[in-house]
Amino acid sequence: MPWKDRYTTSDERTLDRIAWPEGAPCALVVTVDLSPACGPDGITPKELEAEDTEYGMHVGIPRLLDTFARHRVSATFATPAIVAETWPTQIREIAARGHEVAAHGERHEDPNRLERAEEQRRIARTTERFARIAGVRPHGWYSLPRPGDRYAGGQVSPHTIDLLIGAGYEYFGNGCADDIPYYWVTDAATRRALLAMPYYPHFDDQFFLMFPAPGKGSGLERPAPLRANWIGELDAARTFGRCLAITVHPHLVAWGGRLGLLEDVLAQATSEPRAWNATAIGCARWFTSAYPAATSLRLEPSIWKDHAGSLS
Amino acid sequence: MTRYRHIDGWRYPDGVRLAVNFTLDFDAQLFRRVLGEPALELAQGEFGGRTGIWRLLELFHRHRIGLTIFTPGRIAELYPASLREAARCGFEIANHMWEHRVPPEPDLEWDHLRKTTTALEAISGRPPVGTRSHHRRSSLVRDGYVYTSSGAADEIPYYVTDGDATVLNLPFHYALDDAMYFHFGWVASENAGQRLEDCDAVHDVFLAHFEGLYADGKYMNICVHDFVSGRGMRVRMLDRLITEMKQRPGVWFPTCETVARYCLEQFPPGPGR
Repeated sequence: MPWKDRYTTSDERTLDRIAWPEGAPCALVVTVDLSPACGPDGITPKELEAEDTEYGMHVGIPRLLDTFARHRVSATFATPAIVAETWPTQIREIAARGHEVAAHGERHEDPNRLERAEEQRRIARTTERFARIAGVRPHGWYSLPRPGDRYAGGQVSPHTIDLLIGAGYEYFGNGCADDIPYYWVTDAATRRALLAMPYYPHFDDQFFLMFPAPGKGSGLERPAPLRANWIGELDAARTFGRCLAITVHPHLVAWGGRLGLLEDVLAQATSEPRAWNATAIGCARWFTSAYPAATSLRLEPSIWKDHAGSLS
Repeated sequence: MTRYRHIDGWRYPDGVRLAVNFTLDFDAQLFRRVLGEPALELAQGEFGGRTGIWRLLELFHRHRIGLTIFTPGRIAELYPASLREAARCGFEIANHMWEHRVPPEPDLEWDHLRKTTTALEAISGRPPVGTRSHHRRSSLVRDGYVYTSSGAADEIPYYVTDGDATVLNLPFHYALDDAMYFHFGWVASENAGQRLEDCDAVHDVFLAHFEGLYADGKYMNICVHDFVSGRGMRVRMLDRLITEMKQRPGVWFPTCETVARYCLEQFPPGPGR
């Protein structure tokens, strides 16, 4: 039986005292999710035509790019292939401004609804479609939660990480088991693993800005806890030497006064003592080189047993 | 029928105004697994076992205050190093079921209880005497447990009797449980029911309850989880809260077992009524 199979995805204890580049006390990674709100089967023409999507692609993205430029922050744009194909000009502009374009599914679909072979085909197709549009293949793959999902961590199938390794991806964008990058082990015996970048729903704007969707309650616009979480975790990242990873959506955070939330956290992160900012791939490559799996992934021998009358 | 016996004439040892028990429900991904939640929910629980637990142990050790860790027996197989460290720090290790469920079948329930008692004793060198669970009180008494901590039929400790089995309960109130404010989808709750709070808001709730319980000399039991309060910003909030509580005279931070032993000695349950 593999090591703590179906319970753990990484080693027993995190790495402490990360020595970030440039002597920085912590890291800042910003992910921009370019998926419109959609269902578990992914984006349909209806969502591509929605007003929110139109706003995000034509008004939100330029506002975000300006904000990032003013704060000299690089971000990673997690982009479903169908979004990249619909708005190639925006994708090329994002890349030209020094940001990273990463894959976010073919259409931000839940891979648990796909057979393994179909999931593999879609990963290959998505990789190739990005290469055509942006000129380079994506190095990272995201599977972020949607605002209507029952759970807020995103979805991977039992095959996703293994297939991503096979397809040459260098990181998975929304790992939930640490607040720094960590190795997601798919086979403990061979130490086959993919780097996972940290994600936490409490740092994702979609759970605070008109959440749940209008019509599902009142008091849905809650910028205060989002701001407090970002700023509070930035302070904590400095204290504990971790990576603050925030996730924003152009159709949400760029609108009206909300942009001030992002301005605030970027301004604080880039004041002394400055967080080290990189794109997700920049952070992933640095981490993999500074803390390679060969020496940093410490898989303990399993003492995990099967017990009659217990879940295995 | 369950019977409650409230304690008359409640008082603390000289110089104590309020006992505050910090309790850490250390179940990492086990409850998520029992509920059949998806992989990245389990990974959020795994954060607690890999990362959060270590920060919380360091926090309570640095403050030199008591901590009671309610943990499922299977955590001893998943994260043994952190439990050994907790025992080395002098924290109490108590029962939180075998795999975060109590089987309805009496034989299996007893089997789970025995497995947990044995697993936790192997880590800490002594059998646990407290539990946060809904094991049958008759089973608990038979296996040597003297207190529970779930439910709040009073603001001070009280006795609960089922048949001829009596245990002390150290009141636990959901208003003092971090997961109620911070965990998305707690116990598979509906998406539309989620309102994630920030640390300052919850700090203010906890502090207001502390002020109220302190003024009346009651009892306080704050429940935190490894995968919830082990997040950096929340560790810093707890650090601030503990520091503020310590500034008040007569605040006692023992383990749950210490409070339970005090109650059993000073306010024994007496004959059933």
